[in-house]
Amino acid sequence: MSGEDCDAFDRGDNDGQKPDKMFTLKKWNAVAMWSWDVECDTCAICRVQVMDACLRCQGESKKDSYGKQDCVVVWGECNHSFHFCCMSLWVKQNNRCPLCQQEWSIQRMGK
Amino acid sequence: MMSLKPRNVDFTETWAHLKETVAGVVGLRAVERSVWNTRFSDVYALCVAHPEPLADRLYDETRNFLEEHVAGLLQRVRGAAPLDHNDHNDGLLTRYVSAWREYSQGVAYLNSLYSYLNLQHVKRQKVSDAEIIYGSSATVTCPEHDARQLEVGELGLEIWERVLVKPLSAALTGRIVRGLAAARGSAPDPAFASTLREAIRSTVQVRAFRVRAPLALYQALVLEPYLAAAAAAHAQLAADLLAAGDVAHYTTHALAGLEREVALGARYLDSSSAEAVRACYERAAVAAHLPTLHATVPGLLREAAAEPPASTERRADLRRMYTLLRPLGPAALRPLVDAAHAQAAADGQALLAQTHSKDEAHTHFVNAMLTLHGKYSKLFSEVFGGAQAFVGALDKACSAVVNSGGAAGSAPELLARYCDCLLRRRAAADADVDDKLAAAIVVFKYVDDKDVFQKYYARALARRLIHQLSASMEQEEAMINRLKAACGYEFTNKLHRMFTDVAVSADLNAKFQQHLRDHNLATSTGFFIQVLQAGAWPLGGAMAPLAPPPQLERPARQFEAFYRNMFSGRRLAWLHHLCSGELRTRYTARQYHVAASTAQCALLLSFDAVDSWNARELRDTLQLEGDAWGRQLRPLLDAGLLLASGDVGTEEEEIPPEARVSLNLAFSCKRTKVRVTCASAPAQGGGAGGGGAAASDAGDAAHCDDDRKMYLQAAIVRIMKQRKVLRHTELIQEVVSQARGSFAPSVAMIKKCIEALIDKQYLERAPAALDTYSYLA
Ligand SMILES: [Zn+2]
Ligand SMILES: [Zn+2]
Ligand SMILES: [Zn+2]
Repeated sequence: MSGEDCDAFDRGDNDGQKPDKMFTLKKWNAVAMWSWDVECDTCAICRVQVMDACLRCQGESKKDSYGKQDCVVVWGECNHSFHFCCMSLWVKQNNRCPLCQQEWSIQRMGK
Repeated sequence: MMSLKPRNVDFTETWAHLKETVAGVVGLRAVERSVWNTRFSDVYALCVAHPEPLADRLYDETRNFLEEHVAGLLQRVRGAAPLDHNDHNDGLLTRYVSAWREYSQGVAYLNSLYSYLNLQHVKRQKVSDAEIIYGSSATVTCPEHDARQLEVGELGLEIWERVLVKPLSAALTGRIVRGLAAARGSAPDPAFASTLREAIRSTVQVRAFRVRAPLALYQALVLEPYLAAAAAAHAQLAADLLAAGDVAHYTTHALAGLEREVALGARYLDSSSAEAVRACYERAAVAAHLPTLHATVPGLLREAAAEPPASTERRADLRRMYTLLRPLGPAALRPLVDAAHAQAAADGQALLAQTHSKDEAHTHFVNAMLTLHGKYSKLFSEVFGGAQAFVGALDKACSAVVNSGGAAGSAPELLARYCDCLLRRRAAADADVDDKLAAAIVVFKYVDDKDVFQKYYARALARRLIHQLSASMEQEEAMINRLKAACGYEFTNKLHRMFTDVAVSADLNAKFQQHLRDHNLATSTGFFIQVLQAGAWPLGGAMAPLAPPPQLERPARQFEAFYRNMFSGRRLAWLHHLCSGELRTRYTARQYHVAASTAQCALLLSFDAVDSWNARELRDTLQLEGDAWGRQLRPLLDAGLLLASGDVGTEEEEIPPEARVSLNLAFSCKRTKVRVTCASAPAQGGGAGGGGAAASDAGDAAHCDDDRKMYLQAAIVRIMKQRKVLRHTELIQEVVSQARGSFAPSVAMIKKCIEALIDKQYLERAPAALDTYSYLA
């Protein structure tokens, strides 16, 4: 940071009673956590948390250099969600949502 | 010239001439070349005589002659001395050897004189060696007395054994055994030594031509009587040694005795006897005294474990003891191995029990274990040549000590804390951090509950990563790789995922800044965010609610919008209790940099526009609920940044309506950097402290159990996917062996996991077979 004009959080748009701010925010180390936007944390097919890889993927121990496992979540039109791996196997036998029995069609995929 | 034509031969006349020459040859007297040639032809002539070959008669006459001759030699060897006193120096052995030298040589010459007979007559009758060995010639039941004819040289040796050795056998044996016993005590003069050696060798040579049991005479005449006598002597020696002195005395002399005995055998006996000689000594001098020797072992080990040079002699004793016991096999060594284990385990407990400062419990623990491991690895390799049994004993001892659980904490916890301290940024650079971390793996390998260690380690790693406390990311990664090498990918999977998040976050921040520039939005240069994936980070404590003031709110909203755009299906939650900020004061004469938690930053920033707040109003605006209000506010009051009027910081009771908080406009401090601490939230380890583990141990145990079940289910799926069909017991075995790297699973837990997988339709009980599962694809 080189000077006043670079200060990011300086530009209050309310012209308050005071001409000067009392503080300048120099740094904010924020921490946030992401998770799949699901109604239920657990995949009803393999009963593993959707944030973790499904049981089959864990069993295979796919290893990429960062230890990331490419096991994403899929939402149906009914808004129920499962591991994509689990659902792909499921629909081969039964093209209905295991939770609500509606015909299964994909609404969106996690990314 | 020799005539090849068969003709009539007068046997009596020809044999008379031949016999004269035979006597000369066997007596090693000079025989002229022409006479030799003539007699050679005579043998031929007799063998091919017409009308009837005379070979058999010649053979019989020759045998008769040799028998008579050897009977004469017997008289010469026996001499006038009485045979029964067995004085090895009475000259009998010397006479025997001299007669043997002469006769064995002479018979060898005779064999060539009878070449034709041997070749044409004897060989044709001779049962082939192979037939004797493999027994295809059913008629040969006892080769010593079989009917086959021997070559003349062989015949001579057979007669020697039968006519001369047999009557003298007791006398020879007695003198040889006495001679050897004397040679054990002190080296004999060279002439007698060579006599003794030759006499013994003759018992081998006389039967060297035999296919079956060529050493039978040597064994009966020399080896067996010798070993019987030697065993008695060795037993006496050992008893004397043990009676005379301590175990050091015994080991030194017993080992020297063994070497002497082996050398004696090599010098005088047939080379095939080396093993028997050694075994005889070991049996009589060592194995017979095992209980006595074993009784000394624990004390010996205790003293050998002391620091050199005090223990140098004891180590030498122990090494000799090991050398003596090793050839006797595992059972004889067992007490030594057990004592080694007990000594290392006891020493380990003593090392752990040494006084140390409480704060350094983790360092003390790891150092004690490394000392133990280093000391005994060295001792056992020095004394026991690093033999596998002792390496195993040390491993067992280390693992018992490591997992014994002291007052200071469990092994997983202490070791994780040790790693945490090394991996944190420190004031002074520590040159051998890498070595120390590598050494920590030595201890780690002995930890039973590796999965519990993983929990502690992951929690500490999370703190280091989130609060940027790591000394170096290279060191962090190297350590994870060491753990991975020791325990496998699954063990470090979550640690790797945490690392991934850190790398992805760096990338996200760069893209976010670019996004802000591209859209001409305020560039939030002081804003840095880490986005963690849920599930991978062991973050204790509840998320503290906070309604941040606009200064903090705006970049957060901007980032949320940016993030929604980049990904889909994701939800973002702010972990305010893990955030921190840094403010610069503008109202003071000197500028101060204040580092504080997000909630504290929010509190301070609330005074941007007003100098004074009603306490309740401020709390409600920021939504600092419960004890968070007091916990966050108190340090700001203590630091003098804020001033209170009235009771504003109460924990439980409602804040009085008139209480106010105001900005201390006259704030001053010696240092320009002010770090505002924050009391830890309950059930959460706090940012900088050591651990705060005890409070959540019960929770950990339950959490660990769930993880173990998950681990086992994944292992079962992996095994069954590969094997398709497997019996119950085999499946249990495989799962146990796979899990061994992390923890020792109970069979009950594995059974539960199998049931769960059957419920989930991963497995089914095979319909046809009992206790068998099959995999459902
Ligand atoms: Zn699933
Ligand atoms: Zn998957
Ligand atoms: Zn549904």
